[in-house]
Amino acid sequence: MEPLHTALGAIKVLRCSVGQVFSCLANGVRADHGEEGRDAKFLSELDELLSSVTQHLRDVEQAVNSLSQPPGPFTLGNTSFLSQECTQERQALYSQLVLSYKWTDKIHEFSNLSVALLSQNSLKRSYTNSSTAKRRRAPTSSHNVPPQNVDTVISSIDRQFPDMNISVSRPFGANAVLQVTLSRVLQAVVALKGLMIEWVVVKGYGETLDLWSESRHKVFRKITENSHAAMLHFSSPTMPELAVRSFMTWLHSFNTLFSDPCKRCGNHLHSALPPTWRDFRSLEPFHEECKH
Amino acid sequence: MGVTILQQFPMLENRTGPQTIDFLTKRVVALGAIQCGQFLVDCDTYMSTPSLGPQRTVHVMHNSEQPASVFSLLESSGKTIPLVADGLFDLLMLKMTPIYTKKQTKVESKGPRFELADFCIKLGSVTISQNFKGVLVEVEYRPCVVPATCWDLLREFLQGFLGSCVPSMPPQYLQPRMNEIYQPMDTIQQYLEHFSMYRKASGVLQFN
Ligand SMILES: [Zn+2]
Repeated sequence: MEPLHTALGAIKVLRCSVGQVFSCLANGVRADHGEEGRDAKFLSELDELLSSVTQHLRDVEQAVNSLSQPPGPFTLGNTSFLSQECTQERQALYSQLVLSYKWTDKIHEFSNLSVALLSQNSLKRSYTNSSTAKRRRAPTSSHNVPPQNVDTVISSIDRQFPDMNISVSRPFGANAVLQVTLSRVLQAVVALKGLMIEWVVVKGYGETLDLWSESRHKVFRKITENSHAAMLHFSSPTMPELAVRSFMTWLHSFNTLFSDPCKRCGNHLHSALPPTWRDFRSLEPFHEECKH
Repeated sequence: MGVTILQQFPMLENRTGPQTIDFLTKRVVALGAIQCGQFLVDCDTYMSTPSLGPQRTVHVMHNSEQPASVFSLLESSGKTIPLVADGLFDLLMLKMTPIYTKKQTKVESKGPRFELADFCIKLGSVTISQNFKGVLVEVEYRPCVVPATCWDLLREFLQGFLGSCVPSMPPQYLQPRMNEIYQPMDTIQQYLEHFSMYRKASGVLQFN
């Protein structure tokens, strides 16, 4: 296989350099050859190109010589019947077939890699019970919780933080969408699936709130990004209520977004942004650049 | 509408107005700010005719940041009554010429406008009837709406490129309003406060 590849590569290079010769000839004498002795310059350029063609031709010959005769006829399976196809429009079928073969091959390879990666990843969001049938109890499902339970959890979180107002609406059937207003600092929409946080958008006080558009302020776009990291960090399929509660506590710590300086550098601003990161455990404020 | 702070930048003996603007432009650009057009805040002052009892003053102001609004401030017996109206207010003032006469001293602050992340910076040259009076720097922090929560952050930003001329206390006008939601009128009131100072310093106009 390897010598065949080099041979094909060498042919490509040869084609390229022949193409250069022709384009040079077609262009003729150009402005950048200057006034003085331009014919001589043109000829020497052409000469150079021709010698590189010779060189590449030699490469091709060498590569071809090192090829060995295939031991027998290739087994092409059913595709060999394609050569017997006589309708005009179906004759291009072979190259398409090769292309899709390559694609499936790649998909196979990529999916193997991603399986290996995902199985190491701790951010698993679906609950897979690997324990034996004997020990199995009713599986706690985080995404299939009755609406009343969700309402109870949310209203208890709402009571826990007097300066954070949470209202529940259900625009898409059973799943709740929370509108959070954190004093006069920020607003957020949190989309839930059962008790699992699916999506968060953070915006400024007074901006129109919806699930899809982002804030017009850089600082809230950054916090939206960080809250996505937080929702994954706190996600816990076995203790969904705790996950939502932890996330809300983390979000609540942004009520000092504009007034608290960074814990590490002591300044309010870094790259013209306030500390947009809150530590998951201590809830201490840090700049994006100071958090490590 | 975010919180806005106005700050005079002291003039040096050997520097003209345009040179000072140039100097500050270089500093904000070095911070990474990008110039986004120009800005203009102007103020016309009208006085009521003395025959109509105690004299009143009306300031009519425009801000290019709120192009569809006209701001007016009526000064009457020690109180200031603010009003936000639309563009027709200018025409109304023209109709009022028998009652309110326009003073010849138009005050303006204009110059380049910059954006840096969520900050908006305006470097204004103040002129009274086309005479240069000084440099007035405006900084707006747009994500925040309550002055008390972001004053320290704004002061740090202002000190970053204006240096030691930035005081540790918020502007006089804002001090009793630190916990209220900031409105465009608050910016106008700050401009009026500074314009009045420039006027007094030149002795062109006397205020009650
Ligand atoms: Zn920092």
